[in-house]
Amino acid sequence: MPGYSAHVRWLAATLLIAACAGEPAAPPPIRFLHTFDAKETELFNATMAERRLAVESKLVPFARGQQVIAEMLRAGKHCPDAIRIDATWLPELVAAHVLAPPPRELVALDWTPEAAALAQVGGTWWAVPETVDGLVVARDAGMPAPASPSIADLVAAAKARGELAHPLAVRVDGYWLVPWLRAEGVELAPGDAIASQGAVRALASFAALFGGLVPAPPAAGSEAPEELRRWNDGEVAYWVTGPWQLGALRDRERVAVSALAHAPRGGQLLVVPTCAARPEAGWRLAGELTSVTVELVFADAFATVPTRRAAFDSAAPLVRAEYDALASAEPLPRSPVTPLLFDDLNPALAAVVAGDATAEEAAAGVARGWHRLEKR
Amino acid sequence: MLVVLALATLVPTAIVGVLAILRARHDVEDEVQRGALAHIRALGAALDDTLQDARRTVELAAASWADAPGDTRETQLLLRRLRRDVPIVKSLSIVDPDGKLLYGDAVPTGIDIGSHSFGGYIGDAVFENGRPTVRLVVQARGRTGELMGVVIAALDLGFVRDAIAAARLGPGARVLVVDGTGVPVATSDAAPLEPRSLADRDPAVDRALESSVEGTLTEHGIVSAYRNLSSYQSLRGVRWAIVHEQPEAQAYALARRTTRDTAIVGCAALALVLALGAFFATRLTRPLADLARRADAIAAGQTSEGPPIRGPGEIGTLAHSVDEMAKRIAERAELQAALARGDRLASVGVMSAQVAHEINNPLTTVLGYAKLLQEDKPEGHPDRAALALIADEAERMKKIIGGLLEYARAPRASEPALTASAGTAEPAAVVRHVAALVAPQLRKAKAELATDVEARAPLAIEAHALQQVLVNLVQNAAQAGATKIAIAVAPAPGNVATRIVVRDDGPGIPAADRARVFDPFFTTKAPGAGTGLGLAVCKHLVTTAGGSIEVADGPGGRGAEFRVTLPNAA
Repeated sequence: MPGYSAHVRWLAATLLIAACAGEPAAPPPIRFLHTFDAKETELFNATMAERRLAVESKLVPFARGQQVIAEMLRAGKHCPDAIRIDATWLPELVAAHVLAPPPRELVALDWTPEAAALAQVGGTWWAVPETVDGLVVARDAGMPAPASPSIADLVAAAKARGELAHPLAVRVDGYWLVPWLRAEGVELAPGDAIASQGAVRALASFAALFGGLVPAPPAAGSEAPEELRRWNDGEVAYWVTGPWQLGALRDRERVAVSALAHAPRGGQLLVVPTCAARPEAGWRLAGELTSVTVELVFADAFATVPTRRAAFDSAAPLVRAEYDALASAEPLPRSPVTPLLFDDLNPALAAVVAGDATAEEAAAGVARGWHRLEKR
Repeated sequence: MLVVLALATLVPTAIVGVLAILRARHDVEDEVQRGALAHIRALGAALDDTLQDARRTVELAAASWADAPGDTRETQLLLRRLRRDVPIVKSLSIVDPDGKLLYGDAVPTGIDIGSHSFGGYIGDAVFENGRPTVRLVVQARGRTGELMGVVIAALDLGFVRDAIAAARLGPGARVLVVDGTGVPVATSDAAPLEPRSLADRDPAVDRALESSVEGTLTEHGIVSAYRNLSSYQSLRGVRWAIVHEQPEAQAYALARRTTRDTAIVGCAALALVLALGAFFATRLTRPLADLARRADAIAAGQTSEGPPIRGPGEIGTLAHSVDEMAKRIAERAELQAALARGDRLASVGVMSAQVAHEINNPLTTVLGYAKLLQEDKPEGHPDRAALALIADEAERMKKIIGGLLEYARAPRASEPALTASAGTAEPAAVVRHVAALVAPQLRKAKAELATDVEARAPLAIEAHALQQVLVNLVQNAAQAGATKIAIAVAPAPGNVATRIVVRDDGPGIPAADRARVFDPFFTTKAPGAGTGLGLAVCKHLVTTAGGSIEVADGPGGRGAEFRVTLPNAA
């Protein structure tokens, strides 16, 4: 049976070649630099493992993220394939020409308008939006909503909760001051506007909340846990906060969310640097993280707002409410200096709240600081 | 069965034991990892505390300076105090918001003065003159929050190495502190630090930098615990990680030793249990095997008693029951044999009585005519001798017939005891009478008879029947050639019967014949010397009276000893 022998020889040769060839070499892991917190990191690692995506991630503390990333990309050493950044950092990186534009197929996905706006600078896509955030007003579902999103109605609603010693929660942070500034017609931008009467009024009225509707601020660094404790203990009726904190609430179903007029809107983006060794791998990771499935996983876990329209079909009510509340929020100016403005604004605001400085003194100091930024 | 028992014991015990050992080992290994984590947690906290203390002190100084930034004297004093109070400060500078040096040491170019770092930061490690150093940058803001300058301090991380060196580490263990890029800042090794990143070279370092918290890792035979000291929320988070590494063999030495010892002790315990189990099982099953053999023997018809089978509890009870059963089967067989023999003897007796009755009359005639013819012949007539022989033989035949009639006349065992039990016998009187009766015959045989009568209770037997029994026994002894014959009468145990022993110093009765000596017509005497009815008659007389008779060797194995046991009269 010559035919049979030939088949056997052919089979043996095939098996030999297959055995010698072994398994194809696994691709190197995607190098990813991120600013996730501890719980987000755990979920990220688990999700990537589940999706069989080899990722070598490194954490950079959010507080130093912009600084470390900028240094790394300028130096071009240890360059990651993808980076998760805050949306306010994007203009500086674009200006430094260290980012690669995303591939067309990613740009063409069903992004929400708010998310799409975050990922662009000057009408050009430089990132893939991972999540949208900003300030909203959270309250217990049994509590009446403020009559309107305005600050005045928020304060009035808080004052109506006379049974609570401090029914309102806001943070001593320039980001929280933004609605008050905008209500006075002042935008967060270098220039003399920050020293205007409107800005001074905004500073003064914001600082005036503390000790009355809002308790004296806790020690620096403990703001977030203290706000969470106060909410969980029922000490707060209205809480100006963002999605990043609502995900940690014990009873998420009882949380109602409404808009705050002039609130800032931001988010987190995924970018690929020009120095990336494997930019296609970086965009693949960005695509995975912004897939509807993964967005919903993170939304379920942390109440983060997805960036894909399809994700809202099955998103939790709280997440949809957050999205609706953020629809009227306004992004911060897309300028490289915007994130740096807070360096001066935050301590000035703290000084006014603490009573160390008048609103005028503080505003003048901020103006001088911002002028220095303009000169750079 | 033992094998099944052993397997049934061994297999589950071994499985449970192995699972327990593995679980215990896993727990101990977990403890090792937890211990390593706790160690680096404490170590990391201590290191971070030192840095944060330095940061807080410099922050206070910076705030103080920012309120009066133009006072050179006060500024110099402040810097001196800072250098003195914060020993890890290696260099100290104050620059203006544009980065121009105002006071203190020269500042390397390219230092970020804290833009968008929430007021300051502690940078990554750099090596200056071979020593790991970090740059502490604190923005000095005045009362209104306005930026007046920036304090920049170089902090010597030698204290990290000193702290690690002071830590008590397990054998083969090392602790490693790396900065955010994986460059080692300090290590417990004596080897000099190499300012080259361990990222991509040490899996634990990679994992530590990937993680936002802490964890453990076992890879390439190394057990690692790592903790990322970076912090998302803390504005002053130091971007570094601490790693504890130890070879698996040494890290888990205790776990492995415990596993080995537990396995040894477990095996020893198992072997002991097995040995004890086998011992007790053998003890338990041996009586069962004996019982099986006994049952087989019984089934084969061997009902003779063997040694008693002993066993614990129910097995002992069962053995006892089997013994009892065997005994009863033997008794039944003996009874059946006895019944068969009794029937045979009864038939012989009836036939003998009929024959004797029919022969006795003609024989009497023969004897009478023989004697008449002898008397009619004169002395010396040649026929006289023949006639005398006829008369003697006829006489002997009559004796035989008399014996047969006597045997036949005795009632059967199944019949009511009439004759023998109708009267009683005084043992002493009977023995005296017997001694007198046999005295001539004993003299002729040159034999002596000794009597010893201790029991005086009357016996439930006719006196002449007892007399006939004793005469038969004494005559048999004398005829067998005994020279010393003794009759002893003593109470039997229990005092409800009397035992009469007739012993002699004759040749005795062979063991093979003892079972038959009481059968009719069995005799060991020479042909014509005995009828074989004497002992048969004795047995009938005794058993009819409710007693028993047996034969054994005499004292010291010499002679014969007949033991007659008779009930005492009521």
